[in-house]
Amino acid sequence: MRWIKSLAVAVALAPTATWAQTKIDFFFPVPVDGKLSREMTRLVKVYNDSQKEVAVTAAYTGSYDDTKLKAQAAAKAGKPPAVVLMSANFVLDLKLAGDIVSLEPLLKADGTTKAKFLDDFWPAVHANAIVDGDLYAIPFQNSTPLLYYNKDHFKEAGLDPEKPPQTWAELVDAAKKLTRSDRMGFGLPEGYDYMGWIMEALSMSNGGRYFNEEYGGEVYYDTPSMLGAAQFVEDLVFKHKVMAQGVVEGPALSTTFLAGKVSMMLLSTGSLSFVRDNMKQPFGVAFVPRNVRNAVPIGGGSLVMFKGLSEEQKAAGWKFAKWLSSTETLGGWSRFTGYFSPRKSPYDTAEMKDFMAKNPEAKVALDQLPYAKPWFATYQTVAVRKALEDEIQAVLNGKKKAPQAVKDAQKNADALMKPYVDQTALKLP
Amino acid sequence: MTAETGSLHSASLRSGRRRQRSALVVAGLMAITAFLWSTPFLWTLVASFRPETAGGIGMASLLPDYIPTLDNFRNAFESGDFAVYYVNTAIVAFGILAVQIVTISLAGYAFARLSFPGRETIFYVFLLQLMLVPPILIVPNLRTIVDLGLYGSLAGVMAPYFASAFGTFLMRQTFRQIPRDFEEAAVIDGAHWGQALWHVLLPMAKPGLIAFSLVSLMAHWNEFLWPLMVLNEPRTHTLTIGLATFALSTEGGREWGLLAAGTLLVMAPLLLLFAIFQRQFVNSFMFAGLKG
Repeated sequence: MRWIKSLAVAVALAPTATWAQTKIDFFFPVPVDGKLSREMTRLVKVYNDSQKEVAVTAAYTGSYDDTKLKAQAAAKAGKPPAVVLMSANFVLDLKLAGDIVSLEPLLKADGTTKAKFLDDFWPAVHANAIVDGDLYAIPFQNSTPLLYYNKDHFKEAGLDPEKPPQTWAELVDAAKKLTRSDRMGFGLPEGYDYMGWIMEALSMSNGGRYFNEEYGGEVYYDTPSMLGAAQFVEDLVFKHKVMAQGVVEGPALSTTFLAGKVSMMLLSTGSLSFVRDNMKQPFGVAFVPRNVRNAVPIGGGSLVMFKGLSEEQKAAGWKFAKWLSSTETLGGWSRFTGYFSPRKSPYDTAEMKDFMAKNPEAKVALDQLPYAKPWFATYQTVAVRKALEDEIQAVLNGKKKAPQAVKDAQKNADALMKPYVDQTALKLP
Repeated sequence: MTAETGSLHSASLRSGRRRQRSALVVAGLMAITAFLWSTPFLWTLVASFRPETAGGIGMASLLPDYIPTLDNFRNAFESGDFAVYYVNTAIVAFGILAVQIVTISLAGYAFARLSFPGRETIFYVFLLQLMLVPPILIVPNLRTIVDLGLYGSLAGVMAPYFASAFGTFLMRQTFRQIPRDFEEAAVIDGAHWGQALWHVLLPMAKPGLIAFSLVSLMAHWNEFLWPLMVLNEPRTHTLTIGLATFALSTEGGREWGLLAAGTLLVMAPLLLLFAIFQRQFVNSFMFAGLKG
């Protein structure tokens, strides 16, 4: 009979054992550098060792696109990841597809509100975390575009290396002086994903908005602000001849910049550490030049939670997400990666003040934050973005003129969003 | 007589020279083609030994104009746990192959030799799965893997490939090319169908099996998306996922030397395997009439 007793004890103990430690999956992509995946693995280990209730398995999941695919497939197969680091502009799409959960009930359980929770986050990152008034994501790592320039080239060309161009006119003027037979004055990252973000930066600097922040069924491609931006890109290549013809990918651009074959470029603040570590000549960074106003889009990744989790897993995931987005963790991650911290409080810590003093370029990125606007996010974000990117790439290849390109981009984007628009704004009583 | 032989001689000499010249042209063209085909590999080889010049334009050069260094390989080894990746990838690729050889031989034999109602229909339905694009199978396959309790394990990566439509098709064709007389002789001597398959048919189908093995090994050694979907923990990662952790950067620059070294590490075992068994592979492909 003893075995029955011990079996009964085992059965009685089993639920306590599972309750004692909740196992959850955390998916993260590494868009910058292999070093980051090791740092993330280390962070998760620190968390697992620091407490007993939650055991996190950190899974590296490729690019942002692969991560989305894997998380969605896992959720459909009944193994939803508790926490996923996702491209911040996929949040709207994921919510519309019903893949992620609202964080409002968790905030409520903590006795706090969205306003209180977001109070410590920079205003610019709020919009990409909120869908239809509810909190769906916690900003984790953020970036904006930045103008990088080669100080030695500025001196050679008779320009003041401490006075980088602030307007499009000054940019063209400087780029013309910098361009020689063996180097280009200016460059943009023009591959998929990057191109859309850069066009958002240019159209915003031209007074535009790119998309409707409040409604996922509208983009502003066929508008004067976007036409001006597209024409500017075309002119840089074909009229002013200061930028290379054809599509240049982001990594190729940073390579040519490091090699001194391009004197100025727009690139993410997320590349700051990489450029600082590998650039042999002195370089400077500055705000993205304006035509109408200073404005840049936010980029980066946020933490989201998937549907289909048990209550224990949800609670465990929320606990882990809060730890990942704490002042201390975000500050360390920001210093390690070069992304800026979406929270304000890390910048008040002694470590961060010390870091900023040693890396004045990081300060420029931070100073640009008050001018930052939300990252475009619409129904079918990726396809709608590609509708514009394909057209601008055609312009860069000399196959299309800017006015026609923005018209076609608008037409294609509208067709993509039509199902959503028909179901929402055009669904009338 | 002498004049005749002389002219004959010079004619044969001329045609010999012509033949020689055309042989030279052919050799030259083949050398150019071979060079073009091997350029990516040559570049990888040259770049992997190039000293650290992150972002250097010289990185694009095919000429090894430097003192070779092993730094890139050292960095690659530090970036990932290659020993674990190798073991996992070998388990996946060879494990799949081992099961496949059993299943495709039996299925191929059934379709080639046994007669049962609906044989042709079932065979063509079987072939239909060759038409499916793998990505649309990700979710249904993953659901099955979760139900089987294999999510996150190497067995989960392998399971969907245990049956192969392509392999079955190949083995059916191979078996059908072998005259029935051989088996019949074995059966007359008292062999069971299984013995006939094992002792007679399979040895004769070896070239087909080798050709299939190569295609299967290559495909599963290099596969990325499906293992990424199934695996979570770093200790279960395969080579391609390991390589991706330092190859897929978009916001940084590309560390070409490291990338080249990592790529070389991933492909080295297959390359070695091919070099050792080159003769068998080429023969079997000629026999099976296959292109890789």
